[in-house]
Amino acid sequence: MKRSAVILLMFGLGTLLLPAGIVAQTKPTQVTIGIGSEPLTLMGATIVDWTTNAQLENIYDLLFTRDPKDERIVPWLATGYKVVDDKTWEVTLRRDVRFHDRERFDASSVKFTFDYLLDPKNKTHYLPRFKRVQSVEVVNDSTVRFRTSEPYPSLLNDLSLPGPFMLAPVYVQKVGIEYASSHPIGTGPYKFKEWVRGERLVLTKNPDYWAGPVKIDTVIFRVIPEFSARLAALLSGEIDVMKDVPPQAVDTVNRSGRATVRSTVSSRINYLALETLHPGPMQNVKVRQAINYAVDVDELIKTVLAGQSTRICDYVSRFDPAYTPAVKCYGYNPDKAKQLLVEAGFDPGKLTLTLDTPTGRYPLDKEVSEAIAAQLGKIGLTVHVQVNEWRSHLDKIINRKVGDMFFLGWGPDLEPTGTIAQLFVGSLTYSSFGDPKIEEMIHKAEQITNPQANAAAYQKIQEALQPMAPWVPLWQQHDLYGVATWIKWQPRPDEKVWMWEATAK
Amino acid sequence: MTRYLVARVLQAVIAVFFALTAVFFLVRITGDPVILFLPLDVQPKDITEFRHLLGFDQPVWVQYGTFLGRALHGDFGASLRYRAPALPLVLQRFPATVKLAVVSLALVAAGAVPIGVVSASHRGSLVDTLGIAVTALGQAVPGFWLGLMLIWIFGVWLRWFPVSGYGDWTHFVLPALTLAAFYAAQIARVTRSAVLDALGQDYVRTARAKGMSEPNVLARHVLKNAAIPVVTVFGLNAGQLLGGAVVTETIFAWPGLGGYILNALLGRDFPVVMVGVLFTSLIYVTMNFLVDLSYLWLNPQVRYG
Repeated sequence: MKRSAVILLMFGLGTLLLPAGIVAQTKPTQVTIGIGSEPLTLMGATIVDWTTNAQLENIYDLLFTRDPKDERIVPWLATGYKVVDDKTWEVTLRRDVRFHDRERFDASSVKFTFDYLLDPKNKTHYLPRFKRVQSVEVVNDSTVRFRTSEPYPSLLNDLSLPGPFMLAPVYVQKVGIEYASSHPIGTGPYKFKEWVRGERLVLTKNPDYWAGPVKIDTVIFRVIPEFSARLAALLSGEIDVMKDVPPQAVDTVNRSGRATVRSTVSSRINYLALETLHPGPMQNVKVRQAINYAVDVDELIKTVLAGQSTRICDYVSRFDPAYTPAVKCYGYNPDKAKQLLVEAGFDPGKLTLTLDTPTGRYPLDKEVSEAIAAQLGKIGLTVHVQVNEWRSHLDKIINRKVGDMFFLGWGPDLEPTGTIAQLFVGSLTYSSFGDPKIEEMIHKAEQITNPQANAAAYQKIQEALQPMAPWVPLWQQHDLYGVATWIKWQPRPDEKVWMWEATAK
Repeated sequence: MTRYLVARVLQAVIAVFFALTAVFFLVRITGDPVILFLPLDVQPKDITEFRHLLGFDQPVWVQYGTFLGRALHGDFGASLRYRAPALPLVLQRFPATVKLAVVSLALVAAGAVPIGVVSASHRGSLVDTLGIAVTALGQAVPGFWLGLMLIWIFGVWLRWFPVSGYGDWTHFVLPALTLAAFYAAQIARVTRSAVLDALGQDYVRTARAKGMSEPNVLARHVLKNAAIPVVTVFGLNAGQLLGGAVVTETIFAWPGLGGYILNALLGRDFPVVMVGVLFTSLIYVTMNFLVDLSYLWLNPQVRYG
């Protein structure tokens, strides 16, 4: 063939392929996330529920957020803050942000959000959490002041976790709360497109997102309550992301070719609480110490969890500023355990204890509880494991009708006032332990607004708790997510499923 | 006949009333739900405040009175979880359940009744044994296992049908098969014994003696007479299916009534539970009534009134 003809042919073929190239590049990307239940409302700052907030944080923004690697608080819709005095916080705001309906985000949006949140008429779940906030003042368009009724050191933390999401005042006042609760407008990376109750929530990208370009075009949250059906949907390609792949299914997912399991060390801690708030052997400190010596936590991690968790010896996660390696583990020592029990006046072979556990709420919670019972059996104790439905489990703990020990998880644990101050004051809801000296220390620590001094105070509290052995601290769980291979996204320790951070490979 | 109808309506009202009352008090045995709706870091006095806001601090009898008073006006309160009125929320879920129930019942009728008839007319043969064995298997196999197996084989492996969800006709196949498998066994066996019973009657012997062909005998004499027990069981099954097949709906992420009420119960969402109970008891009562009415047509000797 003549040379010029060949070149012409190649050129011609090349131009034929060009449209395919353009189409391949501009094909819209869509991520479908399989989720266990539908959102309870689409209005921010109303309901405390992980599933609801996981979906809402793609539509709305917070004033502050968390760094995905170390969970440190970073400004988001805010640009900074200043502690004016013990009861006043000043927060400066970004000036270039607009809601999805083009209205401006400014100080009046913040005031509106908190007026809504704190109004008893709205019965939001955030009212108890933020009730120390007396009022939010507009200083100028880009500055607000939070006035609190008493020192509120964890205000910043509470503002950085879902979800006092910023609501759009003009919109909500125009359409009313009920309509806005099913047709949300926020400042976030995704706009609301469609909500078919019980089935799916469809979001499309916000092309004017203030924080930068949004890479995934459409995000769909599909409701699949049963986890094995969710797994099946992941494997068949019907969904692209699922949270909480059970450890037994990890191999199946990785071998499927469609998705891989990505894990992260979570900020959620699991522990075995030793109940002292009703009469029983656990009220004796030697018995509690004995249990600590008799449980081999490393063996639990190795055999039950296949290594998928990170041990803690203190009472908070590593993402919590109050984390302290100074609090050491008791260590596995069955002989010491038996000795302590005898010293406490009990015959190990004749002692019967109950262990309450939920099932399926935390990774292998029931299996871990049964393994703990077996370990305690090795020193002669008889342990009955009582498996509870989740809400009954909570009911028992709240009403102090739970057994001698119970398994529980807590998190995301990113600061001590949400953890230590809640779990070691005897009168508080989910506590299993009370001691006047500890409560005094906690009460003092709750007043300290300086972050470093605050963390140091809580570290001291943990050092004081150690010999009292209120728990057997177990681990930070590993969150396992099944993610389609074409998606580039890393799970976060604070459990946010934030599609703003995802791109197609 | 009018007296009969009035009596039935009255019975229905009483039945529904008792169901509502019983459930109202029973769910409150599990304690009050307020804590479940608040964040984990809530303080005890906030719980008290919230309890008061929602009206759970009043004595149970007062709460019951308030509930009844409002219910008579059609106001069933707002869902504790969703903050929206409970009645419309539950109504929204009804169509999905009805459609699945209808498809499943159609499959059962199309499959199980012929099996039952054929089994009875070829009693003792291989066909009979096979028919009963297959349907018994359908009843013995747990629904959730069958559903998950169908999902894995036809959804994940063969990819013939979607794994879950509510949509076009392809979404109906697997869940309807799962439901039909269970009820088919019952219907097949009841059909078989009813047909056997009818086949043993004098009028059948007479018809055969007259020289009528077997299919004719079946069609003209046997089926209508065998229908009454079959229709009864069918009605009961329909009532169950319309009330929402909880396990199947959960596995297949079917946005129906059963899964919804179950979640409301687990989440202690009392207003939704009460509406759910109202619905299911009305469905049962209506299905029973329709079954009884059908007797009038199936057996002219039956009289009401």
